[in-house]
This record gives sequence, C-alpha cells and structure tokens, in this order.
Amino acid sequence: MDGNGRWAAQRALPRTEGHRAAEAAVIDVIEAAHTAGVEWLSLYAFSTENWRRPAAEVDVLLRLVRRAIRKHALSLHTRGIRCRFLGVTDPRIPPALARDIADLMALTRDNRRMTLTVAFDHGGRRDIVEAARSLIRDGVPAEQVTEESFARRLPHPDMPEVDLVIRTSGEQRISNFMLWQVAYAEWVFPRVLWPDFRAGHFWECLEVYRRRDRRFGAVQAPAPTGKGCR
Amino acid sequence: MSMSDATTAGTDADPLGPGSMLYRLTRQTRWGLVATRAIVLEAAHPQIGAALITNSTFVAHPWRRLRNTVLSAQRMVDPDIRVRQREAARLNRLHARITGTDAEGRPFNAADSEARAWVVATLFESAVTMCRLSGESLDGPAMDRLYAEFQSFLALMDPYGGKLPPTLREFWRYYASVVEERLENTEAVHVILDRLFAQVPAPPLLRDQPAVWAAGRALAGPAATAIVVASLPESLRARLGLAELPGTRTLMHAAYLSTRLATRLLPEAWTRLDTVMTMLDPAYAPQRNGDAPAGPPVLEGLRRGVSKAGALLRLLTPDPETATAGDSTVRSASRFFSEVLDQTGDGHLDWPDLAAMAREIATRLDLDTHDEDRLFAAFADWWRELQKELDTDGDGRITGHEYAAATAAMAGSALIRIAEVLFDVTDTDDDQVIDAAEHRALFRTAFDHDPGGDAGERLTRGEFVRRFLGFMAGRRHSGVYDQMFAQS
Repeated sequence: MDGNGRWAAQRALPRTEGHRAAEAAVIDVIEAAHTAGVEWLSLYAFSTENWRRPAAEVDVLLRLVRRAIRKHALSLHTRGIRCRFLGVTDPRIPPALARDIADLMALTRDNRRMTLTVAFDHGGRRDIVEAARSLIRDGVPAEQVTEESFARRLPHPDMPEVDLVIRTSGEQRISNFMLWQVAYAEWVFPRVLWPDFRAGHFWECLEVYRRRDRRFGAVQAPAPTGKGCR
Repeated sequence: MSMSDATTAGTDADPLGPGSMLYRLTRQTRWGLVATRAIVLEAAHPQIGAALITNSTFVAHPWRRLRNTVLSAQRMVDPDIRVRQREAARLNRLHARITGTDAEGRPFNAADSEARAWVVATLFESAVTMCRLSGESLDGPAMDRLYAEFQSFLALMDPYGGKLPPTLREFWRYYASVVEERLENTEAVHVILDRLFAQVPAPPLLRDQPAVWAAGRALAGPAATAIVVASLPESLRARLGLAELPGTRTLMHAAYLSTRLATRLLPEAWTRLDTVMTMLDPAYAPQRNGDAPAGPPVLEGLRRGVSKAGALLRLLTPDPETATAGDSTVRSASRFFSEVLDQTGDGHLDWPDLAAMAREIATRLDLDTHDEDRLFAAFADWWRELQKELDTDGDGRITGHEYAAATAAMAGSALIRIAEVLFDVTDTDDDQVIDAAEHRALFRTAFDHDPGGDAGERLTRGEFVRRFLGFMAGRRHSGVYDQMFAQS
C-alpha cells in the first residue's frame, strides 16, 4: 500500500492526509477480492521499520487503523471475512488498539469465506528469526528441520504460499514482506498511488497474473490461492 | 441434576468429594444465590460484621472477591484431599490475620470458632432455603446428608474448634437462637444491601460499557436486594428495619423458581458456575486437573459465542476514554489512590487496605506459610513507613490528600522488600533471574493470563524491583499489577 505520502504531496496536503485517503482503497480492494473469490488477501499496513517515521505521523496512523477497525468490523464480519493480524507485538501499540485488534480477530475467527491478513508491525525477517528461535528452544535436532517443519513455526502456518504480490506506486522492492511466503510469488507493480487504487486496478492486476505462466520450476501451473497487496 | 436426586447417587465414604451434594452445589450457578443470602446473615453477626466492614474488599472489588471465593469453595471440595487440606490451612492463615475492634470497642477475630460455625451454618441453611423456595424441598435423608457434609466442611476448616450441633433437630434450635439472640442490625448488613447491589462495578466483560452496565444495574440492583431481603428470616428482617415491599415475595419466588428451571432444563454446562464466571470475566480460569479439556463442545461453543458477542459489543459502541485517559501511562495520584491503594473503598488508607493487597498476592501466587509470612511482614513494614512519613495529622490513617501531598516518599526500603519477596517466589530455580518460563508461570498462576509471545525477556532482580516500584511509587500503569490490585 505505497504512495500515500506522494499522493498527499501532489495535492499539497500533509502526509497524514494520504493515509486518511488510503482507507477507501483498502475497503475497495477487500470488496473486489471478496467478489472475485479470492480466499486469502493480505495487506501490508505497517512494517517494523515504519516505527522510525515521525512520532506524529505514527500516531495518526495508529488512530486511523483503530478507527477503520471499529468502523468496518461489522461489515467485514457479515461478509464472512476472517480477519487476522500478522506482527502486532511492539509495546508501542496502544492498549486500546491492541484490544480492538483482539476483538476483531475474536469476532471473525470462525468465518471462512475469505481470510484477510493485515500485516501490522510486521517484518518478514523477524518472523523467520522467531521460527528459528522456537526450533532451538524446543531442542529440535538439525537434521529434523525441513522446509515444511520450519514453515509450521511461522505465524499463521495455515496460510498458503503467496501467489501474487501487488506493490503500488511503481516501487519495486520486497521491503521485508512475508519473506518466507513470497518465495514463488508473481509480482505486479502498477504505477497508481495507493489512495487512487480501486477495484478496477485490482482486476487488471489479476488479469496480468492470469496471463503469467507459473511453473515453479516444473511444467504445469497450479490453481492460484493467495494474494498479497503491498 | 436437582439437589434431591443426589441422595440416590450412592453413599460415598468421602463427604466432600465429587460424589457429594456439596460438590455439585458449588459448581452450579445458583450457589451464587446461596452465597449472597448467606453473607447477609453472616454480616448481621457482630463479630463477622465488624471483620467485614473493616477488612473486606468486597464492596470495592466484588468481582475479584467473588472469583477468589468461588475458587476457594471448589478447592475445599476437591477430589484430592491434600488440595482441600492445603486450602483449609491457607484460609485459616488468612483469617487469623484479620483481627481488631469494632466501633463499640468489642474485639473481633475472623478465626473465632463460634463465628466460623455460624458461617457454615448460614451456608447450609441458605442451601436448604434455596431448595425450598425453588420448589424442590429436600427430604429427610437428603437434608441429613447435606448437613453431614457441611459438618465435615467445618471440621476441615476448624478441626479443633467449634462444631455444629450433632443432629439436625438441634441445629434448627441453634440456628433460631442465633438469629434471635446474636444477630444485630450491623453496619455491614446495610453496606451489603444498600451499597453492594446499587454500586457494584461492571464485571470485566462489561467494563468498557459503563452505560450498558449502569442501565442494567439500575433495574437489577434493587431487584437483587428485594430478593435477598424477602428470603431472610422474618424476625431478622424486622430487626434490620427492612419492611417487606409489596410483590417482593412473588419476585423472590419467581427468581428461585427460574434458577431451578434453568438448572433443570438448560444443558448442564450452561448453568455451571464456571461457565457464568468465564462469561463475566474472561480472565477467570476454572480450576482444572492438569491438561483436561476446557469443557464439552457445547460449553466451548457457548464460550466462543459469548466472546464474539462481547467483542462485537466493544467494537460497535463508542468508547469515550480511548484517546484520553485510557492511553496514558501515567495516572494522577488521586486515581492511583482510589484504584489501587484504597482496597476497602472507604476513602482512606490504613492497614486493612495493605493487608488486602498482601492477601491478594498470597492468594494468587498460592504462597506457602514461610513466603506468606515474609510478604505480610514486608507489608507491615511498609505500613509503618507510610504512617511515619505520610500520616501528618496522626489519626492512624492516611487520606487521599495526605498521600497526594507526599508521594515522593513512596519508594522507601519497605516497598523494595515487598518487591524482593515477589521476586523470590517467582524465581523458582533461584538463579537470580526471572526467565521466560518463570515469567509465564507468574502470569499464568497469578493473573490467569497468558503474556503472549513476547514474554521472552529476562528480568534481573534489579529490573523487577524497579518495575514494581515504578508501579507503586511512580504510578505507572502496569498490565500485571493493575490486574491484580486495580480491577474489581
């Protein structure tokens, strides 16, 4: 979800206005993915590195997230969307927000139509380090560590591998996003800034993905399952 | 299962174990009706009333008190006899520390044998009354059996002390004579009837919904008082100056009857006390044996449903506190005084407040005699220190004003000793560091709460003490200590 700051700068608005405008794009994309039958949608909202931004901006972001959760909780739930969060461990997260996050997860945990994973205070490397730590703590012998057993130690191990990553605003970096899960992902880089990203753009990205020949080093491409938006 | 069915459940040699009527009763939600009525009868006893009014935290922290009481009652009828003996010993130590003199200068002692026998008597009589009022009177053998179980209960608590009369016939004479001759119109009775139900703070589930809770309480509070009053012995009611309002007897019968119907008709898991407690207080952890499952699927389903409903309610209702007080880590001295220090809720700080804190820690951490003594000694030192430094008008207690005026003096050496006792009991392997496992154990046993994934930090003695002092003196919010002392 890149480009909020540039979107605001183009309009001579403070950066925080860009974050405010991003909410509409988030809701539009969730709705579009839901209609398209996407079963796994992940949004990269806030990285472990984003804490380095100015305190006032972080503060506004945290408030916006909280407001969005409270505003859309019911409609997400009635659409059968299971909401999960990835990360969310930093003590700087205000208790009120942490409680709303926990409540949203509790409310929607039995929904199965689509799983929305919000990466918030997320870092792909941190997840990998945590998984390694848990193996060591449990004294698992080195030869028993396989890709599968390692993956089971990652947060939300039921999440399938990512099929498609959409990174808006023309940025072409991974930026520490679900490093393990994106191993075979297809990447699409639309130039549109995130606050302007709408259902139509999402459909275009899906179309690009459908035309790609995914071989995973083999011959036949399996059916798509997961999408990531960042 | 109804109470009278229990007579046919076989004559178990163990009067308090899983086969007993008492065991079943303490696991039903209607035990709450029994306990509430019994506490009014207890409060009218001058000794118990004085102990309650000066030492008890049940008005300020009723939900915490209820949880402790429920857990304790369940331990007293635990299948394992060692658990029962340990709990009885703990209760005895706890009560032995509650002594003093009442407003008229009469001494009281919570370990007094006569007073204890009366507590057990009121519980038995209230159980019998509950059965009668809900339309399923106990027959002779069932009542004999229940009485024998309560006698064993008292014998476990007080093996060398007072006893209940040997036979039921003598019991009723004893009961009538205590009601006629011993019970008084105590302050404690009126605190319970007038303040407890009218001012009971929201249970943890509804803590974020003060408006919802206040609206419900405005209706349910007076009704609860009326139901309890109507079920009291008539002569006592007259002495307490509690006139019977029209319709209250009908209301009371309806209430008792509906508890019976609920117990009969609803799935057993729904009317279980554990279920209700879990709904009201998500942090409540029912006592389980080892890794036994949380309950049957229907109960798990209900619990999930309730947790979802609670989550939705919290997400949908506006919460005025969010951006202001709720997020701040520092609170005012006066809020700290009323939320944490003034445990008895009487507006000033004195020994019973600190004793209540020590009791809460000892209970949650299930300390043994040695550690409990150390903890109480440390708290007593702290009290002397506070008195010396803060009690400027020398009246033996500290007002919120005196406290706020001199908070800098809080980080004294006595407070550090309290933190050290806490550290020692948590540092089970004595390596002078609280590691992740010990940290988790402290949270789990003391706070019924899983600290989550980020409990990997190691706390040295200095850091642990620093954090405790930060909470007690610097008045920093702390999830851990807030849960223990501040929440009701």
